[in-house]
Amino acid sequence: MSQRKKASASQSKSQQTNVNEDEMTLSQMTSSQVQRARENFSSVQIDRKVAEVVQFILVKDQKKIPVRRADIVKHVMKEYKVIYSEVMNRVRRTFEQVFGLKLEEIDTKNHIYILINKLEAGETVSMCPGNPKSGLLFVILSIIFMKGGVAKENLVWNTLKKLRVDSGEKHDEFSDVKKLVTDEFVRQKYLEYVKIPHTEPVEFEFRWGLRADIELSKLKLLEFVAELHDQDPQSWTQQFREASASESRT
Amino acid sequence: MGDEDEIGGGPSGVSDEEDDPARRREIRSKYRDLINSVQQNREDMLNPANNKLIDVLEEANRLFASVKQAREAALDAQLLVLATDLGKEKASQLHAEGSAFDPSAFAEHLLSFMGLNRLEEEDDDQDGHLNGFLPQDAWQKLAKRSEVCFKTAPSFHYMLGSFLAEPPPPRQRVERQRKAPSKEAKRIMPTQLKKMEESQQEATEKEVERILACLQKYFADDPEEPISYYEFVIDPSSFSRTVENIFHTSFLIRDGLAKISLDKEGLPCIGPVEEGEIETGGAADRNQCVISISQASWKELIEAFDIKEALIPAPKTLSQES
Repeated sequence: MSQRKKASASQSKSQQTNVNEDEMTLSQMTSSQVQRARENFSSVQIDRKVAEVVQFILVKDQKKIPVRRADIVKHVMKEYKVIYSEVMNRVRRTFEQVFGLKLEEIDTKNHIYILINKLEAGETVSMCPGNPKSGLLFVILSIIFMKGGVAKENLVWNTLKKLRVDSGEKHDEFSDVKKLVTDEFVRQKYLEYVKIPHTEPVEFEFRWGLRADIELSKLKLLEFVAELHDQDPQSWTQQFREASASESRT
Repeated sequence: MGDEDEIGGGPSGVSDEEDDPARRREIRSKYRDLINSVQQNREDMLNPANNKLIDVLEEANRLFASVKQAREAALDAQLLVLATDLGKEKASQLHAEGSAFDPSAFAEHLLSFMGLNRLEEEDDDQDGHLNGFLPQDAWQKLAKRSEVCFKTAPSFHYMLGSFLAEPPPPRQRVERQRKAPSKEAKRIMPTQLKKMEESQQEATEKEVERILACLQKYFADDPEEPISYYEFVIDPSSFSRTVENIFHTSFLIRDGLAKISLDKEGLPCIGPVEEGEIETGGAADRNQCVISISQASWKELIEAFDIKEALIPAPKTLSQES
């Protein structure tokens, strides 16, 4: 989005972003120091490093587990970490211009990245059949959203049971459903699975994860849910308001 | 909720009627039943169509009328927590504007979308759920349709599969696993054998030392009188013990701890070698000979020497020795 702005950022601005970069050594560096560090690497070297980071993120994305900045630095950047933001800006540009993907930092505190599709749905013609897991994910996310952002664990399991998916039994397509939902989806940051305080016996609730917030269109989800019910999406006033608001935010 | 203080005295001043344990137990039991039924019928009670929550609260009010002590009141409070939680949830179902979302209805619509085969339509309404079956591609169909909601990046795959083909690694793993235990076994076998040899050798050494001690004792008793070799080694009660004694004694000779000499009648005598003698007796003075003994010659020797008992006592059982 703002890579051009960032690239040509004034000194004070790049300093500011550097301060936000936190614990690493680069945080204390002035832009002139970065400038000097950059002179140690040839443009060919930097190009190669950018390509390596792109590939690293692509491979990591196969399992949809978010990529941590610490891992990028440790496994790929190594001594290039002094010019981390420069390399990442170019990585970001490569993803947008070459792959049509967008690298999003979903957690600016812990620096966690995910890839999302930049192309509008419909533009993409998917050749592969739908992944059953994303059907399941859709159901859970819909329940949470339609319930106003939080859904009790029991409610989710009971609804899934009606769809022949029992959290206690091995499912043909999802095998260990409980693990898929409370572990895999959670690690992929689609879902949050948290203990409800002061409950006896302990109860858990589901919320949307950071990835879901970015990767899903609430409006499209509401439209599909409405289509299933054969109703107008606007008949769920609150949800519709929420969905439209989040749509205009992005 | 243990019943630990069943007899525990209530605060002073309570009348007998209020402190009646049976009455109190009855109240507690009723409260627990009520709590259980709320926990178990939770989903039911949440249904906007009924007023079960109010029934529960009224029942609790009735029970509370006879509550006089803290334990029962605590149960009442516990029920109140549950009821409040339910109330909160029921309130969240209330939407001031727009329609409410009913997950069961949602599930029904999803089932229709996924192409549920309803086997017995009429039964469907009676026991609620789990009639009919979903076609194989049900979840795929749903996933395909819901794809538009996701801006998921297509995951990256090598066009013709990657070079990191999956099958080989597991095969290697299997081989490694097979090799590992066999190595272990090989390593264990020799150590076991060594240990056995060691223990046997130790047993022999101990026996040799024991016999040397015997010999030295007899020698010390009477240093002038030579000890007849045959009288020393022969055990008149056991031929095998005799053979063993000969075998062990031969070690004493070999190691230069004992010596055999012939007395004036030409019969072999045995005696320990004193420390001073070890120095002077060089290897040159050594002679070797083979002693053979058979059952018959053993009997003959016993008779000839008139041996009544063994000079070397039979060892205590092996297990004690080792």
